[in-house]
Amino acid sequence: MSAKPDAIRPDWWSKTFAGAVLGAALALALAGLFAWAGPGGINAREKAQFVMWIMAPLWMAVFSTVYLFRSGLRAVLWLSGANVAAYSLLFYVRSTLG
Amino acid sequence: MKVRSDILRIYQSLHTWTGICAGILLFIGFFGGALTMFKHPLERWVSAPAALAGALAPQQVDSVVREVLAAHPAAREEFTLHVLRHENNPAPVTWSAGHAGRDIDLNAMRWQASLDEQGKLAAQEVRPSLFGELVDMLHRTGGIPGTLGDEYLGVYLMGVAGVLYFLALVSGVVLLLPTLVKDFFALRKGKNRKRFWLDAHNVIGIASLPFHIVISLTVIVFAFHDQFYDSLQHVVYGEQKMWVRPSGTPGPGDVSKLAPASELVRLAQQEAPGFEVTEMLFMDLESPRPLVRVGVANEDYVVRGAVSGYLLMDPYTGQVLNTSMLPTKSDTWSSIVAPFFALHFGSYGGDWMRWVYFAFGLSGAFLFYSGNLLWVEKRRKNQLRDHAPPAQPRRTAVLAAATVGVCLGSVAGVAAALLAAKWLHATSGNLNTVLMATYYVVFLACVAWAFRRGSARAAPELLALCALAGFAIPATSLLARLAPSLGMWAHGSMGAVGVDLTALVLALLLAWAARLAARRARSGPPDSVWAAAPAAAAPEPAFPQERQA
Repeated sequence: MSAKPDAIRPDWWSKTFAGAVLGAALALALAGLFAWAGPGGINAREKAQFVMWIMAPLWMAVFSTVYLFRSGLRAVLWLSGANVAAYSLLFYVRSTLG
Repeated sequence: MKVRSDILRIYQSLHTWTGICAGILLFIGFFGGALTMFKHPLERWVSAPAALAGALAPQQVDSVVREVLAAHPAAREEFTLHVLRHENNPAPVTWSAGHAGRDIDLNAMRWQASLDEQGKLAAQEVRPSLFGELVDMLHRTGGIPGTLGDEYLGVYLMGVAGVLYFLALVSGVVLLLPTLVKDFFALRKGKNRKRFWLDAHNVIGIASLPFHIVISLTVIVFAFHDQFYDSLQHVVYGEQKMWVRPSGTPGPGDVSKLAPASELVRLAQQEAPGFEVTEMLFMDLESPRPLVRVGVANEDYVVRGAVSGYLLMDPYTGQVLNTSMLPTKSDTWSSIVAPFFALHFGSYGGDWMRWVYFAFGLSGAFLFYSGNLLWVEKRRKNQLRDHAPPAQPRRTAVLAAATVGVCLGSVAGVAAALLAAKWLHATSGNLNTVLMATYYVVFLACVAWAFRRGSARAAPELLALCALAGFAIPATSLLARLAPSLGMWAHGSMGAVGVDLTALVLALLLAWAARLAARRARSGPPDSVWAAAPAAAAPEPAFPQERQA
């Protein structure tokens, strides 16, 4: 790419909202997918602890990189889209395996 | 490594604001956390010598348990058998009549029982020292009072601070990337004070980065695990069970049929060879689900608790119900999760690792303290040649005072509470209330002092106060030995003496820091919040100042 990209807009409030709320929701969905489709399935003994533990790093991974989106609006839209995709998959997996 | 300048700018702001918002609370969390590494030695240091003593034969312990359960119905709900005994739990059997919640009950009383010389049951109600618990609470809540639901408000705030802390770590690393190779391990002690502080901040931050990432993530989990589990139950698990309860035979509900304690110890030992049985917590003995949680310690393993792993047994049959918290017989998922706990608690590798964590904890506290100082320095208005030193903006003066007051106040407060445990032990009132009040009085006084005097004068003064309080700790133990008539005590055990020696070393460091701060206030650049003379009233503004303190 030869064109110089536009500078990233700070958009503190919208990006922080996206990271805090949408990031947490996404972490929950991804952890949920791991719980159902990951090794051992949903009924593996003592697995819930691990599922709970991975929520924090997933959430923080999203939260700490959300500021790289070019604008707050993009951050909100992309993460909303990711949430819709992740939850659709989660509920699909839940209904087929559960 | 090259990073785009707009990215750097954004992460610079992120680093600044997350650091400023969370730094002071995290300082207290880290300082308190460093102390909780040695919670037990601290408990032993403050505990008055107890009258009940004497090693008991296994059969005697069995009869203590039997007689306690027969005579004290409250113990049937929950009691602890201390297999390993120290100054702070001298009796083999203890229980409390009240509930055991997550919050600290300062008025809580504890029963303890042993055998007297005639071999008869001697039970008495005592007020346990809660010093260790108070330090632990300071660590988890930053000393912020109040509860939200059945958890401390401060725990949630610390969780939020944990989130900000993670963001600060990531942004700090991003900021350092372009100059990482050049700056790492460079500690330039030249003319520029700020450069020196920044170098120190960077070296400590990068060198202990894995530790900090682990701590920030675990803090978030510890603060919000209830909410995480609840949302998982609702959204993910639904009808599926998250937990499988241990299924033993239903309890007979008759405590006289309990397996002898010594037999349970023997069975636990058999189940966990190489481990030392430390204590056994008996729960709900008259219910259909009686349980005994056996603490088993072995320094060579990563364990789940702060000091030991656990084993769940049926107290009537001695059947082992759950070994998921016993490292050698754990299941896959539990053994993956155990290190998360252990990495936060430093409960692997024994005392050696505890010292490493103690050092990490204090260096983390330094990271937050120095971060705030850098913020203040960066915003300082420089003095122009031949001009009077400018008045510094109010916000830097406020943040400097808050940093000095809160951080040093928490240090002085803990030291004062430790001293109060010995000097005021004969109080007619509740010693635990006295300890708590001492902490808050000293802490708030330090904060008020810092704001009243300004950061420049308060910093050396409060550092000196902390040093003085630190010196007073071993001095008190020495005095207790030399003048027994004072009614104080000094234990000769390694743990208790270690507390004295550590306090002495920290006091020396604080005294050194106080000297440096005083010199800087006297002869540092006058256009700094750390200069003692108020900027507006500086008598000889054109006086050539020595730039390096």
